[in-house]
Amino acid sequence: MKLRRDHLSIDPEKCTGCRRCMIACAMKHHNRIDPDFSCVDVIGFAAQDLDVPVICLACETAPCIKVCPMNARIRQASGSVVTDTDVCIGCRACVYICPVGSPRINPATGQTMTCDLCADETEPWCVAACRQERALTLCTDGAASKPAARRAAARTLAGSPRY
Amino acid sequence: MKLVIIGNGIAGNQVAFDVRKKDRDAHITILSAETVPEYDPCSLPYFLGGECGRTDVFRKTPEDYTTHNIDLVYDSRVVSIDPEAKTVTTHGGGQISYDKLVLAHGGDLFIPPIPGIDNPGVFSCKQLAETEKLAAHNGSSAVVIGSGAIGIEAAEALKRKGYAVHVVELMDWILPSLFDEPTARRLETALKGYGIHVFTGEKVLEIKGTGEVSAVVTNLRTIACDTVVVATGVVPGTALARTAGIDTGRGIQVNRQMQTSVPDIYACGDCVETIDACTGETAMFQLKHNAIEQAQVAARHIVGEKTRYLGAYAFARAHFFSTHAATFGKTQRATDCILGDKRVIEREDKNNYLRVMLLNNQIVGGQAIGTFADGLGLLIGAMWRKDDFMEIAAKVRTTPRGGAVHTWPMLRLGNLLGM
Ligand SMILES: Cc1cc2nc3c(=O)[nH]c(=O)nc-3n(C[C@H](O)[C@H](O)[C@H](O)COP(=O)(O)OP(=O)(O)OC[C@H]3O[C@@H](n4cnc5c(N)ncnc54)[C@H](O)[C@@H]3O)c2cc1C
Repeated sequence: MKLRRDHLSIDPEKCTGCRRCMIACAMKHHNRIDPDFSCVDVIGFAAQDLDVPVICLACETAPCIKVCPMNARIRQASGSVVTDTDVCIGCRACVYICPVGSPRINPATGQTMTCDLCADETEPWCVAACRQERALTLCTDGAASKPAARRAAARTLAGSPRY
Repeated sequence: MKLVIIGNGIAGNQVAFDVRKKDRDAHITILSAETVPEYDPCSLPYFLGGECGRTDVFRKTPEDYTTHNIDLVYDSRVVSIDPEAKTVTTHGGGQISYDKLVLAHGGDLFIPPIPGIDNPGVFSCKQLAETEKLAAHNGSSAVVIGSGAIGIEAAEALKRKGYAVHVVELMDWILPSLFDEPTARRLETALKGYGIHVFTGEKVLEIKGTGEVSAVVTNLRTIACDTVVVATGVVPGTALARTAGIDTGRGIQVNRQMQTSVPDIYACGDCVETIDACTGETAMFQLKHNAIEQAQVAARHIVGEKTRYLGAYAFARAHFFSTHAATFGKTQRATDCILGDKRVIEREDKNNYLRVMLLNNQIVGGQAIGTFADGLGLLIGAMWRKDDFMEIAAKVRTTPRGGAVHTWPMLRLGNLLGM
């Protein structure tokens, strides 16, 4: 497993379900206080009292890149995979093939949107919003050892399919 | 090494550029039957419908080939291969020698033997040049023959262009190889809601008109129209390989390294028959993601790396106007010939529909329309992992409050399946 330069690390055990990350993401990317415009999706399981933040983790062999009929899923230099809104036709193939269904639909355009790690900021806004709980943190180069990253991945993704 | 690739499609380009990344000195030639750089056939219906421009269908520019030192030879359809002399011959009579050869020439549109099929008012949207012809055609009423994914996408595109659109399907329901009847009927209702006429279980007998199309005659009716689009499927191109003595079945046969039965000849993409990654059965899905992955394996093996193809997977979306649907794995009909304990889970909520096929308590396929489709990837994951349905149900029941966060994918699956 080759680790990319930056990626988000998610620790759902620490998530309190406050959804500040969703608001932060929507504010950063769409200037709106509306969780529907967030790339982060905090999924709540009421019966089990669990909250799990789901974010695009930019898979090494991202299947969304291969199934997009418009070649609109682009791997950026930072490692993140984003939707090119100039060509996305909103067919949602990337949502359906994603092992965790992470791409979200922009309610205004119908196009998909995923985490770009707030490329122009020193720290993603969702990470800043979660500084107290630390359910979302940013791993930069060297911050996570391979075994630690593997263990974390095994915990949160519980064996996503091998494409 | 002299590498020759037949076909300038998705698979051919993936091989060429992947090999170039690892081998700076290889002499790489792509022989193309067309006259444009690589484009994506999946984008063509959206170009036709005006949802994207012509430039947006291309995956490469002419400069990409020069900067990567790849020879792209236009208008050179390969007509024969001589594995003894290690040469290929193009339709112009030119001979090109190779050290390693890759067959990546995809499939051909199946043209049904209908009287009038060679009328100039009959079009297709398999290749860019044909699609451009259709886009430039000035018609007002169209019949689409065949309701596979391409037929439905073409129907939507023509509707967007202002045509009156009729889809004629020979089988009992639309998208017959991708969806079961209950899903397909719902999609048919949605199509009709957008003003597209759909006739299933009907056979086109004749295309009428001389010089231009005037009507399509089926066994049940005559539909007046000025445009016909043929979308009756894509057949893998096996003739070239067969005449060269390469083993073929429904497609060109390859091993897990994408090698054919003849030394130094590889094949990948729509022209090959492979195995289903999940079941190990012989498979021919003819989908872009499979073409890319097969080409990646072929490229790795060509440069001498150890590699093994895991197999192909069936995943397709059906999307028109604001209707969204997707399918993966087997349809119920495909499980009919398998012995075992079978179950279908169905959920419905307004216009949203979910259908999941279980075989011996394992998910083997699924179809969804609307919001249920958003979680389809979780079901695909469960199919790959061969999760036991009973175990998912048990996890949903027994996970304590606030505990065992690692069970969340199971919980989410449980929610999706309505447990
Ligand atoms: C309209 C349309 C929509 C589609 N939508 C989807 C979709 O949404 N999702 C999906 O997964 N798949 C889709 N597909 C299928 C997908 O496009 C194919 O699986 C993929 O293109 C296969 O790649 P390939 O390289 O094997 O073949 P192709 O991309 O077809 O390339 C083959 C190339 O070889 C050339 N060629 C053929 N014979 C010769 C010869 N003798 N000599 C030289 N060159 C030759 C052809 O001109 C062509 O350029 C769609 C296809 C079409 C037509």
